[in-house]
Amino acid sequence: MSLFLQIIVNGILLGGLYSLMALGLALVWGVLNIVNLSHGAFIMLGAYASYYFFTLLHLDPFAALPLCMLTVFALGFLLQRYVLNLIVRGPMFNTLLITFGIDVVLTYLAQIVFSADFRVVNPSYAGANFTMFGATLPLVRALAFAMAIALTLAVWLILGHTRIGRAVRACAQNLVAARLYGVEPRTVYALTFGMGAALAGAAGDLYGVVSQINPYIGDPLTAKSFAISIIGGLENPLGVVVGGLFLGILESLTSLYVGSTYTDVASFGVLVLVLITRPKGLLGRTT
Amino acid sequence: MRRLLFFAIATFALLNPAGAESVITLGASVQETGRLANTGRYYRDGYEFAAQAINERGGIKVGGERYQLALKILDNQSDVNLSVRQYTQLLTQDKVNFLLGPFASDFALADSSASEKYEVPMIQGGGASDQIFSRGYKYIFGTLPVASKYFESTVQAMSKLEPVPKTVALLYADDAFDVAVAKGTRELLQNAGFKITQDERYSSNTSDFSTLISQIKAAAPDAVLVAGHETEVLNFIRQSKSLDFSPKLYSFTVGVPTADFRLALGRDGDFAFGMSSWLPSASQKDEYFTNAQMFADGYKKRFGYEPDYHAASAVADVETFAKAVESAGTLDPKKVRDAIARIDFESLYGRIQFSEVGQINLSQTVVQVYNDNVVPIYGQKGFVNKPRYPMPAWDKRP
Repeated sequence: MSLFLQIIVNGILLGGLYSLMALGLALVWGVLNIVNLSHGAFIMLGAYASYYFFTLLHLDPFAALPLCMLTVFALGFLLQRYVLNLIVRGPMFNTLLITFGIDVVLTYLAQIVFSADFRVVNPSYAGANFTMFGATLPLVRALAFAMAIALTLAVWLILGHTRIGRAVRACAQNLVAARLYGVEPRTVYALTFGMGAALAGAAGDLYGVVSQINPYIGDPLTAKSFAISIIGGLENPLGVVVGGLFLGILESLTSLYVGSTYTDVASFGVLVLVLITRPKGLLGRTT
Repeated sequence: MRRLLFFAIATFALLNPAGAESVITLGASVQETGRLANTGRYYRDGYEFAAQAINERGGIKVGGERYQLALKILDNQSDVNLSVRQYTQLLTQDKVNFLLGPFASDFALADSSASEKYEVPMIQGGGASDQIFSRGYKYIFGTLPVASKYFESTVQAMSKLEPVPKTVALLYADDAFDVAVAKGTRELLQNAGFKITQDERYSSNTSDFSTLISQIKAAAPDAVLVAGHETEVLNFIRQSKSLDFSPKLYSFTVGVPTADFRLALGRDGDFAFGMSSWLPSASQKDEYFTNAQMFADGYKKRFGYEPDYHAASAVADVETFAKAVESAGTLDPKKVRDAIARIDFESLYGRIQFSEVGQINLSQTVVQVYNDNVVPIYGQKGFVNKPRYPMPAWDKRP
């Protein structure tokens, strides 16, 4: 019984990590209808940023969080403003192609600049854990979980209750009307994409502490984030948390009862099921 | 008339350029980028370092003529399919003389089909899986010791420890190398009388081991043997710490002897056991590098990082070709292949001699990490140093 509890706890914490990773992708996709295939590359860059802040400036990853987010935000903002804006009103396929190209360029630039050596961010509390109800909880994962919730709430608040959030939603709903109200779409799009990138940067910041960093970690994370966004639904930022938790718990249970090699089968199998039965995701409305 | 003479002389001169170097080209497709680039670079750098050293000592003598070694190395971006195409290109378009191998058993397994088809010998130092050598191929040779015996010296050492561990958990990734290791290790453990509590296979490139670690922790075996690649081993150890899992002993097929592994883990890497078929000792003599210690120093100076057995294995491959071509006295692939099959010489990597199926026979030395040092523990002649066993709990480490 205690093993089962530990596995569930593992799944929840893993889910928290997953939600954190998927948040940026879901935001940009849900609001701007841009599927950012270079999302994983942004996470990777956020991870490298936190690595350099940690090794060169001795900044703790949590202290460096705003800095990492800002760095990747700037990159995302510039990319959207000067590159993606050119094709944002074109067919969806073009955004997939361009973001895929950006992904390849960023990955191989990282290989050239950082080399393929793997790096880790090893603060003193990296291996710390605490026990609760007989289960061991790694501290960093618990903090990542808390961060995921906090950031999701922040996104929800910004989108729903601030002026810039209203401008973003207005652009997404009716561009002409939004412009009539004085909204400058190019800046708004760039800000939103930048926000998505900043969220990816936040996930990257923690990634080096729980796993290891190399230029190629991006693609599997993009795929996972993609699955989580669909499973959770794009209409509600909370959907990402639900999707992430669902996937985390499912993978952990699959690993325990079926076998560790079947986790991808389970997660992408569920993706297919959700697309067939509830295409708007678990939290989406059925009508 | 004069013009005709001029053209005749010019053509003659072009067709017989004076001072043309005779060159033997070795072709290879290596993981210079992509997810395996971290280890792939040992092969690219090892090949270059060896070729340069051989050329500096006068190159290769074939029938009275001196040949320089040239390399043609392509980047397969850690993509198996691309590497097969590149080897085919090296043979058919670039017309290289002989082939050097890639890193990783998966790659060697696929790429050796190209060398077999075109009947050009390939010596690879990156694939240890028995599968590579069990197809009856005649043109593939390997300088990594056989995968199924990787844990042999570890199991022997384990049965001599006090208190002897009774239960063992075996964890392995699902690629050609690790599956082969697991298959052999299972038999070794059973023959030595150990009880296997868990025998778990996981997907390559798994980054999350929490469920596996929790399961193993619940069963509480005395020892854990993990057959995986470097990044997986790194994640396993870090996540073991964060889940507070500490068996009496854990041993890993790769990663432990490598410098950046110890750099990444810091003191968390202490007490981990691993294995290496090569250690940079000054008593391992070599014709081109004087000895293994000098090779290691020169390599570090040139490339900025310490070599490990991957690099030494790569150097051994190039040296084997040099010796084999000299022994065969010709560049004919079939004759060189036969010369490789009968070769027997000492190098910085060890004694180079291939079995009937083409694999080298080297034993693994059990090593243990402590305080950024790789300490040899158990070799062919028994215990070399006292192992730090059992491993203390995470919060009780010095």
